Amino acid sequence: MKIVHMADSHLGFSAYGRVDRWGRNLREEMIYEGFKETVDRIIELQPDAVVHAGDVFHHVRPRIRPLYVFQQNLERLVEADIPVVIISGNHDAPKSYAALSPFTLFEGMEGVHIAHHYRYEPFEVGETTFHSIPFCLGPEDYLAEFRKMQERRAERSGGRDVLVMHGLVEALWERRLRTVGEHQLKESFLKSDFSYIALGHYHGQAQVAKNGWYSGSVEYFRFNEAKDEKGILLVDLDSEEVRQIPVVDKYMIDLDPVDCTGLSSRQVEGLIRSVCDDLGLKEKIVRLRLSEISREAYRSLSRRLLGELRGEALHLDIVPQFSDETALRETEPMESRDLPQEFRKFIEGEAAGEAIPAAIRDGVLAYGTGLLARISEKRAAERFDAAQ
Amino acid sequence: MANLSDERWKEPRGQESAPPEGLARIGRKPQTITMDESSNPYFRIISKDVREYHFIVPSEEWVELGEIVSIHDRRAERGATFLARITDLRHDSNYDGNWDTVIRGDGFYDTDQIFHRVVAEPLGCITKEAGGRERFRKSRTIPAKFSPVTKAEKEEFRFLADVMGDIEVGRLRNGSRDVKEIPVALHSDAMDHHMGVFATTGMGKSNFMKVFAASCMKMASAKKSKFGLLIVDPHGEYIFGAEGTKGLLHLDRYRDGIVCYSTDKRHQIDPSVSELSVKRSEILPQDIEVLYDWTPAQREALEAVSRVFYGEGWLDDLLTPEGAARMIAEGFHEKTVGRIGRTIRTILDKNRYISDLTSSIPGIINNLLEGKVVLVDIPTLGERSELFLLSLLSRSILDRYKKESAEGARGKRCLITVEEAQRVLGGGEGSLARFESIAREGRKFGVGLCAITQQPKLIDKQLLSQFNTFVILGLADRNDRTRLEESAKQDLSSLDVEIQTLEKGEAIISTLKIPFPVPARVHLYEEYLDRLNGEGSAEKRGDRRGFNPPPD
Ligand SMILES: Nc1ncnc2c1ncn2[C@@H]1O[C@H](COP(=O)(O)OP(=O)(O)OP(=O)(O)O)[C@@H](O)[C@H]1O
Ligand SMILES: [Mg+2]
Repeated sequence: MKIVHMADSHLGFSAYGRVDRWGRNLREEMIYEGFKETVDRIIELQPDAVVHAGDVFHHVRPRIRPLYVFQQNLERLVEADIPVVIISGNHDAPKSYAALSPFTLFEGMEGVHIAHHYRYEPFEVGETTFHSIPFCLGPEDYLAEFRKMQERRAERSGGRDVLVMHGLVEALWERRLRTVGEHQLKESFLKSDFSYIALGHYHGQAQVAKNGWYSGSVEYFRFNEAKDEKGILLVDLDSEEVRQIPVVDKYMIDLDPVDCTGLSSRQVEGLIRSVCDDLGLKEKIVRLRLSEISREAYRSLSRRLLGELRGEALHLDIVPQFSDETALRETEPMESRDLPQEFRKFIEGEAAGEAIPAAIRDGVLAYGTGLLARISEKRAAERFDAAQ
Repeated sequence: MANLSDERWKEPRGQESAPPEGLARIGRKPQTITMDESSNPYFRIISKDVREYHFIVPSEEWVELGEIVSIHDRRAERGATFLARITDLRHDSNYDGNWDTVIRGDGFYDTDQIFHRVVAEPLGCITKEAGGRERFRKSRTIPAKFSPVTKAEKEEFRFLADVMGDIEVGRLRNGSRDVKEIPVALHSDAMDHHMGVFATTGMGKSNFMKVFAASCMKMASAKKSKFGLLIVDPHGEYIFGAEGTKGLLHLDRYRDGIVCYSTDKRHQIDPSVSELSVKRSEILPQDIEVLYDWTPAQREALEAVSRVFYGEGWLDDLLTPEGAARMIAEGFHEKTVGRIGRTIRTILDKNRYISDLTSSIPGIINNLLEGKVVLVDIPTLGERSELFLLSLLSRSILDRYKKESAEGARGKRCLITVEEAQRVLGGGEGSLARFESIAREGRKFGVGLCAITQQPKLIDKQLLSQFNTFVILGLADRNDRTRLEESAKQDLSSLDVEIQTLEKGEAIISTLKIPFPVPARVHLYEEYLDRLNGEGSAEKRGDRRGFNPPPD
């Protein structure tokens, strides 16, 4: 049995405000086009099933266009007689039981199995059971759902077991995307007795266990994904072979920083032009960092040149890192539940450096911690859905 | 207190009664005043000095070694209470000579004149500070003569509650009675120094460790933990218990405070148990070097391995004929190289968790740095493999902690548990240099040891003196007790008999920050488990349990 493993299509994602002649966001259209190509490719491959491991849609409430694109392509798979297994991810699952998931619209289609009810569901395709654990509301729920699955597996043996989940395994935790509702998958979920583990959420292709992979996304979404391998995976459950299948050409480029120490604006322009010419900007999304550039040189860079280059690319991001700027401390966004601890560390650090007098240290700490508690209580009450 | 004695001395007696023989002999007139409560000779300090207090109790009174008594000294303005621990009990009397083999009158003796003498060791003195706060300190004086003595009750122990730490392990014990109100808890802060758990087999070492780990899980779950705890369990008893006992994973309430890795298929089914794996490339020649008693030539060859082969592939390279040839070309004997190769094959063969792809080690260390309990369950491995793994893990941990501390990172400290620690901390031959170096210098990097052993006498004296928390359960062997007495930070010499007579689950705990070695009753894990699982469970998940998709 061969299956195609894909994930993180993020239909509905749009960016950069460039539109085509009908006024549609170019970036968004590209992603729809990529999704169609992916389905073309799958139909060519004729697998026995397709697994989409979360985040079909970029939004919890997708607009009609992404819904339509999804429906069209899903129907093509159904017509090609390829069974489809889908789980909801942190982007397309509503964060409360009150809201209806977009997948409700596609329930009941022949050959389409969607787990989106915040609970474990097994789907059988031939001899293979797809144990699907979609996005759950609390991180602790995964343990309970996983247990249910293990109990079921203990009852019936025979056939192959494929696990489908969405979230970040601990091994990749440093690379977390830090999006709303991002959940950590325990290392202990990667049991070696599954024939295959299909994971979603991490946008690069990555093998995280002998039998476990992230298929990655087909598309590029952020510059930190520029170096990732992308595409879909063709998995042969019999031979345990996993083939990486690229779908779209690499279009996101994060160039190495260009050293501009002591250079005039003319010289920098020359550098930029040559770097861009070498690369070829057409239909690409490019980031170019200018390190150690002086403020004067940056200010007097030719607008015309920049405009020209930007027009050529799908998107060109020129990022100055000024020479007089002491490198900003890289602060990463925090998880809100870690905030009190982070605040305590900060205060203790400040107090140790005597930036805060010892006498008021505890007072400051208590006041700040109290404020944080009140804020997080309020936030919890508001229950955000994954934005953009 | 036995009624019998109470009645006896309360009974007013007339002057007409004959003078007691003892008094008559020393030629003094008998007392002529009426006896009242204050003339009771029992339960009053009668001697002796700043190191030892004596008082007498009626022979019928049941008094035990190890009991703590309080002495109320009314001299001081606000009153001072001395605490002392009973260290000896003797027969004593007001008679001289062999009175107890002589028949006089119609009996052996006059009941009033014989009693038990109780010897007690001063623990310290509680004084009331100006604000009404109680303070406990070592005493520089002795209680006034005839100060009344009572068995210490919970009020007298209240000061102890203030000096207790955050890792609860049991309750205060006074003799064989428990003082339920006063929990005994170790200090997280003391855990970067090493800790030792000592007991003859079956006295409750494993039970203690489970209770200790459960308290650590609770701290980790509340994100208050100050250190990670690594337990490598060769018996497979901690994870789900053994022979009717419960395990750490039964502590559902604080499951997020623990991560488990196992080599046992049956345990791996559990959602929160990971399959243990170690990458080949993580094994260094020195991990193999610590394992066997190599000859000097073999040792030299092993040390050369990292020079001859580059990088991570050495293990496989060495096993190829070309690899062996390269070693021989370096001047090592064929036999030497062959032996090393065979050993490596044996290790790879016996340790099936070694893989080319995945490794649990980064996860293990990250979780330790986060302050969690990490349980490595290896019931399927033999003793050599256990030592190999423990040694490999310890090296990886020490390396990483050294790196982190050089970078000024603020991860949590960690405590590495070593079962049967005499195997690796014996000093001299046959011990593992790695653990000794952790014992000596681990503290600098925040790595401590928790050594569990039945035979402290086999542990190197100097290493033992680096330990500052001793949990002593019953120890029958005198040499074991002596070794501990020699190395403890607190004076344990007077506790010798008590340690010998400790029953299952009874402990003496000596640790920094708690002013004297505390007698404790370690919680029975299964009871403690029930209590912890019942804690604050109401707010969890709550209404979401009843979720039903809306009908649509
Ligand atoms: N604190 C305690 N309270 C009551 N009973 C206890 C306590 N500790 C241990 N026991 C009893 O003693 C038994 C043996 O305890 P445990 O297995 O912890 O001993 P051990 O010292 O680890 O033994 P071994 O040397 O065989 O490993 C337990 O099953 C339990 O019934
Ligand atoms: Mg034991």
